[in-house]
Amino acid sequence: MTEIDTSPHAIVNENLRQVGKNKPRNDAPTKVYGRAVYAGDFHMDGMLYAKVLHSDRACANIRGIDTLAAKALGGVHAVLTSQDLPANNAVMTDLPGQVGGGTKDTKQPILAGDRVRFHGEPIALVAAESYELAQQALELIVVDYEDTEGVFDAFEAQEPDAANVYGDDNIVAAYKIRKGDIDKGFAEADYVLENTFSSQYQEQAFLEPEAAVAWIDEHDILNIRSSTQVVEHFRAVADALGMPHNKVHLQAPYVGGGFGGKEVMTIEVWLALLAMATQRPVKLVQTRENSFISHGPRHPFTFTHKTGISKSGKITAMKITVTSDAGAYAKLSPYILLYATVGATGPYRVDNLWVDSTSAATNNLPTCAYRGFGTMQANTACEAQMEELAKLIGMDSLELRRQNFIKTGDPNTTGQIIRSAVWSDQCATQALDALGERPDNTDTLLYGHGLACYQQSYGRIRWMKDTSESWVGLEVDGTAIVRCSVTDIGAGQMSALAQIAGEVLGIPMSEVTVYFGDGHMNPLGGTSTASRALYMTGKATELAAKNVRNNLLQCMAKHFDVSPGELDLGESKVFVIDDPGRSMSIKDMVKHCASLGVHRHSLEIYRAPPSEGLDPETGQGEVFPDFTYGAHAASVSVDVDTGEVTVIKSVGAHDVGQAINLRAVEGQIEGSALMGQGFALSEELILEKGVLTNGSFSEYLIPTSEDVPDIQSIVLESRSGLGPFGSKGIGEPVFAPVAASIVNAVADAIGTRIHHLPLTPEKVLAAMTAKKAAAEE
Amino acid sequence: MLPPFELSQPTTLPEALSALAAGDGQPYAGGTILVPDLRGGREKCRRFISLAGLEELRFIGHDDEGTTLGACTTIADIAKDPEMAIAAPALAAAADVFAGAMVRSVATIGGNICCGSPSADMVPALLTLGAEVTLSNSEGKRKIPLSAFYADYKKSVLKPGELLTAVSWKPLRQSASHLFFKLARRKGDAITVTGVSVMMAANDGKCSKVRIALGSVAPTVFRASQAEDMLRGRALTAELIEKAAKAAADQCSPIDDSRASAAYRLQTAQALVRRQLTQAWHQASSV
Repeated sequence: MTEIDTSPHAIVNENLRQVGKNKPRNDAPTKVYGRAVYAGDFHMDGMLYAKVLHSDRACANIRGIDTLAAKALGGVHAVLTSQDLPANNAVMTDLPGQVGGGTKDTKQPILAGDRVRFHGEPIALVAAESYELAQQALELIVVDYEDTEGVFDAFEAQEPDAANVYGDDNIVAAYKIRKGDIDKGFAEADYVLENTFSSQYQEQAFLEPEAAVAWIDEHDILNIRSSTQVVEHFRAVADALGMPHNKVHLQAPYVGGGFGGKEVMTIEVWLALLAMATQRPVKLVQTRENSFISHGPRHPFTFTHKTGISKSGKITAMKITVTSDAGAYAKLSPYILLYATVGATGPYRVDNLWVDSTSAATNNLPTCAYRGFGTMQANTACEAQMEELAKLIGMDSLELRRQNFIKTGDPNTTGQIIRSAVWSDQCATQALDALGERPDNTDTLLYGHGLACYQQSYGRIRWMKDTSESWVGLEVDGTAIVRCSVTDIGAGQMSALAQIAGEVLGIPMSEVTVYFGDGHMNPLGGTSTASRALYMTGKATELAAKNVRNNLLQCMAKHFDVSPGELDLGESKVFVIDDPGRSMSIKDMVKHCASLGVHRHSLEIYRAPPSEGLDPETGQGEVFPDFTYGAHAASVSVDVDTGEVTVIKSVGAHDVGQAINLRAVEGQIEGSALMGQGFALSEELILEKGVLTNGSFSEYLIPTSEDVPDIQSIVLESRSGLGPFGSKGIGEPVFAPVAASIVNAVADAIGTRIHHLPLTPEKVLAAMTAKKAAAEE
Repeated sequence: MLPPFELSQPTTLPEALSALAAGDGQPYAGGTILVPDLRGGREKCRRFISLAGLEELRFIGHDDEGTTLGACTTIADIAKDPEMAIAAPALAAAADVFAGAMVRSVATIGGNICCGSPSADMVPALLTLGAEVTLSNSEGKRKIPLSAFYADYKKSVLKPGELLTAVSWKPLRQSASHLFFKLARRKGDAITVTGVSVMMAANDGKCSKVRIALGSVAPTVFRASQAEDMLRGRALTAELIEKAAKAAADQCSPIDDSRASAAYRLQTAQALVRRQLTQAWHQASSV
């Protein structure tokens, strides 16, 4: 159930015909009827099958690899180790896309050479006539390991005598923020509260594991059709192989979920190498077990919050330290740490602020992008601290939040002025109201309500100078084509572009065909990451469609003898706004314009607002294009005998700027409600000395259909965002507050707080038992 | 990926029993344990006898003598059976929370009993029903109490060539209470951390019959016989129930694993036995 708030704050500046409405997505039928073709569905004549030998230990020297028996096995066409690779044996894992260029060394060996640094590190690649043969060959490879000392804790990794994993000091990245006067802020405080919060590994658990087919075509182009969020990785593949960029063609068909796990390269380079070595098409679909160790899960983070607050509930100072476990390679850890640093204060204005953040390398799984990208973890800690502050000073926690919400025109953590609407208060109030009355506790069940707000960026870091291109054209029969390389990772990226183009051109979205996910045949739209796909590719598509519209309206203005501004396109017609009887079908209009040689297509580029980075001493500067704000509220019950938590109701209320497809927005809110619930309650990768021990869906517990609560979506539209029609990014934002709201609801129910996630029944029962014992003393 | 293996697929019970007698391999029914174990490299056997074709072992029979389930009856069959809620309320409840819908539709009652896992969710309710199992071989068959079936962790008294073909129990007393509680780390598709079933009947204000079974807190699912002895023939009070719950917990020998610590299992075993006994007493004595 969805409610739309047409609040008086909304600037109703568009007469929208299909944008914002509940429209079936263009990709729905093909997916519902099972016709959609995913990367793992492709088959080619003469295709070989690949398998990867992953390290079964976290830190060891490799004294030798014996591949003789594997190579001798009939039907095996290639067995590759680091010895067979291009001399540099390295792939960049920096932020993907147009400019790249992070400050830290993000090179990672394609295959381990003389050393493995994490459980799952790839050691050898096999291509054979069948998966079975490839598997047999893998089992014939003998790796001579010499186990070495490792380090498995992000704090220990920073000690001078820690085992070395990365660089000289295991520090992958560090940031600081120095703003205002922290000492003065604490001196002004009536209370000071310090708490430490930490969170765990979370697995993306996409439905479709890594899958790709690579082949070399008749033009000597290396083609890879892969389940990826980023077709721009063709450059990194080319660089790793020492090939020109224009000889690598990366395509993404429909992707069965990414959540950040397919943001950096996964299996593409391996398949490229095998296709080059065998000159045959090569396919790999990772098993679920191997998928767990083939991409980076969510970083475990630790936050220590020291907050000064006045009796009236005004935050006077915050001192926050942030630590993340990067695992064995940098991947995107520096950027994720930056997001956590900027997001450390949640959606609140803090004028006296001190933040120190560090990401340290260990021999644990390399961690990487995952929906929320550090901000979510930071927000979960901050929102826990806000509840504890409210408890400390005896104030309602929403009232405390109201005292401190950042507002439009305020500077944020890094001094960036917030330009768009901030409807934190409206969202929080509506979300909490939707929970209704809290039931009375029973002998066996305690009930709790929890709230969390957030500030989450959309769009990539500004000094990446992000751009997106899209091409829109009208055919002479009145249908339209959009060409944009955006990858459709399941959130409706493709369909949204059809809806936007259809809106501008006055035709139904079903009459717009979108070519997507192909980085050589289509203009480059950029990544489906960072909640930017709709914002950036939608904006480029809107601009291109408007160009086409303007060309046609100029032509039609002469025909109707009016000015172009007196015409509109809608219901598949062009018409005079003040005299709608004067009209022509879009089809006839396009024919007419075509006969006069009017340009019916347009290629446009949208450039996100740039900046030049942060001051390294103060951490001040502009990091993100803009932010989304909102709230999530949850009601839970806790079993007093077992500590089991049941989420009863889960309500997301968000200012999405402008919904493009309301159903898709709802889908994001509902999906995030479950993903956040898993993070709060049950999901945790368990590593023992760096080795993953629960890499299966029977032991790694994502919520099932039987765990789904009553989920409600409340959509507010300020139309103040940077995206098409004033939209804001929502993919990550709607997820940012979910876990925090559930954690706060549990604290409300049991009257005490657990500082390390997830809240397993065992931890909840232990907290209740400890509270009872303390009360009896 | 599944390794290569040999498979025989008998279509009648005699064929299956003679294949078993001939040592043609390990029997399996739904395969919901076997297939993941094969994929994960934990199962070393490479010769199997599929029981999937034995329609004669897939039945639910209720009569005045009690209920009999063929070994190949699926968990979903049990969950859907309209009479199970009366014949064995705790078994029906266990079937509802057993794994997830996909597993329930192929996993069988015989497989769940024979896997010998301490977390086998159908077993506590069967133990509190006082169920018997029928063990057949090519020579004939024998019936033994389910409580005598398990020898140790994942070990049973099944002899080579023997197949569990049915499980049966006598009717519950009409006023009896029969309960099952599954504690796990999520609602659907989770392996049980602590499982408790209680059967109780009351007569003249006294507990006339009681059985308590616990899962996932010892090498096998077991009957908390000391606790049962403390309650039988007594009018139950909160104090007595608490003592019995403590006795049941004392009979547990749980381990630490990734799902829960031994201490948590002990604590929840005691709490859940207390809760189930309280509820059962309330139901049974108020009829």
